[in-house]
Amino acid sequence: MKRLCSAILLGTIAVLPLTGCGGPGTEFDGTNTTSVGDGTTLKVYNWGEYTGENLLQNFEEEYHCTVIEETFDSNEMMYTKLEAGDQYDVLVPSDYMIQRLLNEDMLQPLDYGIIGNIDLLQEDCSGLPYDPENEYSIPYFWGSVGIVYVKDKVDRTALEQKGWEILRDPQYKDRIYMYDSERDSFMIALKSLGYSMNTDNKAELYEAYDWLVEQRELVSPIYVTDEVIDNMLNENKDLGVMYSGDAAYVLAENDNLGYYEPQQGTNIWSDAMVIPKNAANPDLANEFINYVLTYEASQDNTETVGYTSSNAEVFRDESSEGGMFYQNEAYIPRSGYDKDEVFEDNTTIRQLLSDLWIKVKAG
Amino acid sequence: MNRFRAMAYPYVLFISILVVIPMLLIIAYAFTVEGTAFFQHQFTLDNFARFFSDAVFLQVLVRSLRVAVFTTIVCLILGYPAAYCIAKSERRQGILILIITLPTWINMLVRTYAWVGILQDNGLLNAVLGTLGLGQLHLMYTDFAVVLGMVYNFIPFMILEISAALSKMDPSYLEAAEDLGANRRQSFLHVTLPLSLPGIISGITLVFLPAVSAFFIPKLLGGGSYVLVGNIIETEFLTAGNWSFGSALSLIMAIIIMLSIYLTRRIDRNRGEVS
Repeated sequence: MKRLCSAILLGTIAVLPLTGCGGPGTEFDGTNTTSVGDGTTLKVYNWGEYTGENLLQNFEEEYHCTVIEETFDSNEMMYTKLEAGDQYDVLVPSDYMIQRLLNEDMLQPLDYGIIGNIDLLQEDCSGLPYDPENEYSIPYFWGSVGIVYVKDKVDRTALEQKGWEILRDPQYKDRIYMYDSERDSFMIALKSLGYSMNTDNKAELYEAYDWLVEQRELVSPIYVTDEVIDNMLNENKDLGVMYSGDAAYVLAENDNLGYYEPQQGTNIWSDAMVIPKNAANPDLANEFINYVLTYEASQDNTETVGYTSSNAEVFRDESSEGGMFYQNEAYIPRSGYDKDEVFEDNTTIRQLLSDLWIKVKAG
Repeated sequence: MNRFRAMAYPYVLFISILVVIPMLLIIAYAFTVEGTAFFQHQFTLDNFARFFSDAVFLQVLVRSLRVAVFTTIVCLILGYPAAYCIAKSERRQGILILIITLPTWINMLVRTYAWVGILQDNGLLNAVLGTLGLGQLHLMYTDFAVVLGMVYNFIPFMILEISAALSKMDPSYLEAAEDLGANRRQSFLHVTLPLSLPGIISGITLVFLPAVSAFFIPKLLGGGSYVLVGNIIETEFLTAGNWSFGSALSLIMAIIIMLSIYLTRRIDRNRGEVS
């Protein structure tokens, strides 16, 4: 029996790489003359619903390789799998997670001999604090966190006056979606209290905890993650905390929705492509990153997913007249505002925030 | 008998790889300090101390047990008459059992998502109520929605177990009861019910177990604030990255589940001796 099992297993493993692979590279005509892609496999680990509809297929055709894409719902889930020893060629984690991966020496530098398209990168999302020289990472999408509101239920001037505090206005009791993640929730509470969202001052963090507990008592918000997208699209509630990319998508679908970045400041985030140290195929990984930066691929990404492009030209075209996101207030994240911050990874408070957040929710 | 023993070996191999080893890993993690490479770690009881010293976790445990017990009771009340009907209807039994199991052909997550579409504020049910001129109902993210989702998903187990027990019952017992002058109520209480008890016990077990450890039903229908033990375990593993505490929680749940199985089996055995 044991022998039979291993025979079946070996058979499956042997057949897998043969399926879907391009032939030998005789007709190879990619931009690069080396044959890095020939018949090999590229493993991409990305967020769910985060890739243009034709991107992977086009890349496979151009580079004669097979792309296997796996998806995750949270940076932590990605980290857990990576730490458990899973091997990938390209990852697309968020800023603070890249910082953590760098601190733990899990990434390898990018090869700018291959990534010639770096010049196409949008200026606002290049050289971010977690990787000032873009030595290890190139942004994929970027944006802010803000409030999506139903225009005929919420007064815009009141929203602008109160900012994040509108999420504690009893007038909207049972009408609010909060984002179910400790980082985003504590960011909102800390910003509302006028503190830095990267604080490690325990007193400030406990004050933020009280803010969130009070919020729960005052307005009984519903804590959701991606469900917020469909729910706001259908106007099931009046207010919802959303990432600008998801907001751009719902605003494009429903004219009665608006997006606002509170004046107390918010989180400017970015998800960037990185290559883990143990990548099996780093050359092809660099080719992939180079490919994602092209106009064609970036446009496919942004139009399919709705998130803000990291390609300068695509960003400009999509947000100007004739573009898919013309006059979409969520597509252009606020930049250069001194109260906005980028998340930093902080090992000392990670566990504390996680515990406090469970207590807010379960209390 | 010995001749057949070898036939169980593949299953023994399967169960040791997929159940026994993971169980041992959970125990190892639960008694060590934070981290994933447990070989470098030291013995500790901190994970358990943390659970029992924090009122929030106990509150969550009580809530999980309450929801699971309530779900089981509702399944029993709704399921018993249905199972009784199925067992009594001889010719249509096959088709009735098919109807009961039909929903399980569709993935549980998809079926639960369907309830979101039905129950949400601008959902199907409220649309129907709206056109009938009746007011809006606020159903999503309530106890009602969570219990409904659980009952809907788990009730087939209850019905199938009870109807199997009832179908196996020899009708001559009922005839004997009638001969001895029992009325229908008496023969149900003293003959049918005790004989269906093994079915009820396994039905309760099969509903209670998934209900007490469920995490996506409360997450979808109860919202993020509807935290049950299953949700905390998920968070500890996937978000907080604290495998040790997650394992300790899993172990505590496993012990509670084993105890409840042991207790229900004992009730079964005691009742068996009495009747």
